[in-house]
Amino acid sequence: MNFEELRSQFAILKDQLKKQEIVSDHLLRMTMKSKRGNINNTKRSCYVAVVLALLLTPLNYYINAWGLAFSIVTCLMLLFCAAATYYIHKPVDDLNFLTDDFATVARVMARFKKQYNQWLYYVTPVIIPWVGWACYDYGWKHAPEGVNPLWMCVPLLIGAVIGGAIGLYYHFKAVNAAQDILDQIES
Amino acid sequence: MKQEEYFTQLVRENKSTIYTVCYMFSQDEEEVNDLFQETLINMWKGIDSFREESKISTWIYRVALNTCLLQERKKKKEVKKVPLTMNVNFFQDDDANAAQVRLLHQRIGKLGLVDRALVMMWLEGMSYDEIGSVMGISAQNVGVKLFRIKELLKKL
Repeated sequence: MNFEELRSQFAILKDQLKKQEIVSDHLLRMTMKSKRGNINNTKRSCYVAVVLALLLTPLNYYINAWGLAFSIVTCLMLLFCAAATYYIHKPVDDLNFLTDDFATVARVMARFKKQYNQWLYYVTPVIIPWVGWACYDYGWKHAPEGVNPLWMCVPLLIGAVIGGAIGLYYHFKAVNAAQDILDQIES
Repeated sequence: MKQEEYFTQLVRENKSTIYTVCYMFSQDEEEVNDLFQETLINMWKGIDSFREESKISTWIYRVALNTCLLQERKKKKEVKKVPLTMNVNFFQDDDANAAQVRLLHQRIGKLGLVDRALVMMWLEGMSYDEIGSVMGISAQNVGVKLFRIKELLKKL
């Protein structure tokens, strides 16, 4: 390929664009209406879930569904999750379209993906005994005479499965988004 | 000058640079429009932070390239589409100039994202230092990469 040809094609492109009258005022007005700031949906969903759970956990203790120890441990775990989410997401939130170069973006996204993947390995061994503890606290302590405690745990387990599925969905969504960006940079 | 007026002037003066980046990273006219709008939004969001420490063309290239890289495709589709009202569509126009531009798009499109960005800035006439500051690599490294890309393009 002749590079002069490439240059001349580029010059044609620029020349054609210079002749244009440019974008509509409507587009510029709409742009300037857009709010400044960036919202990370995955992070926001996590914070909303943590706040809801922090409100519901004392309520469950109050109505005597779960014991004090379980409620305290649950609240601490929730706070830890929120703090970890903040820590993992912060470098991505701090990415600046105007000052950061490709190399920085690639480094931040790689770190984000690695930490998200590690998070799953740390959380899974904690969540399984926690669900068992929730079942014990609720089912075995509250089952009426003649009722198998396992049946009392069915709604809890269904909730745990749904909650876990939603959590995994957001987890892999975030990891895939990071991977997409890395793939584009490395392609 | 009011910020809105400054921004409008900035966009009008640099429309071809913004459009060129969006065009080279798009597969159709609709995608060009989406990326163009997204780039303008990001420029507007960051206009306060532009302190004229670098050239405006370097700043615009950085915003446009990062927008093309980091765009959230699903979210983007929810954004209300606004036409550019630029009377040009290089994907469809059938005159000789549009054909040449399509050929350029086709050739550059064969490169990876980083290489594509490098070649575009080189064609734009930016210095190796400026290209390096956008890409986060040294000027020397820019030279090495461009040499490699030129060799690659010769084989295409």
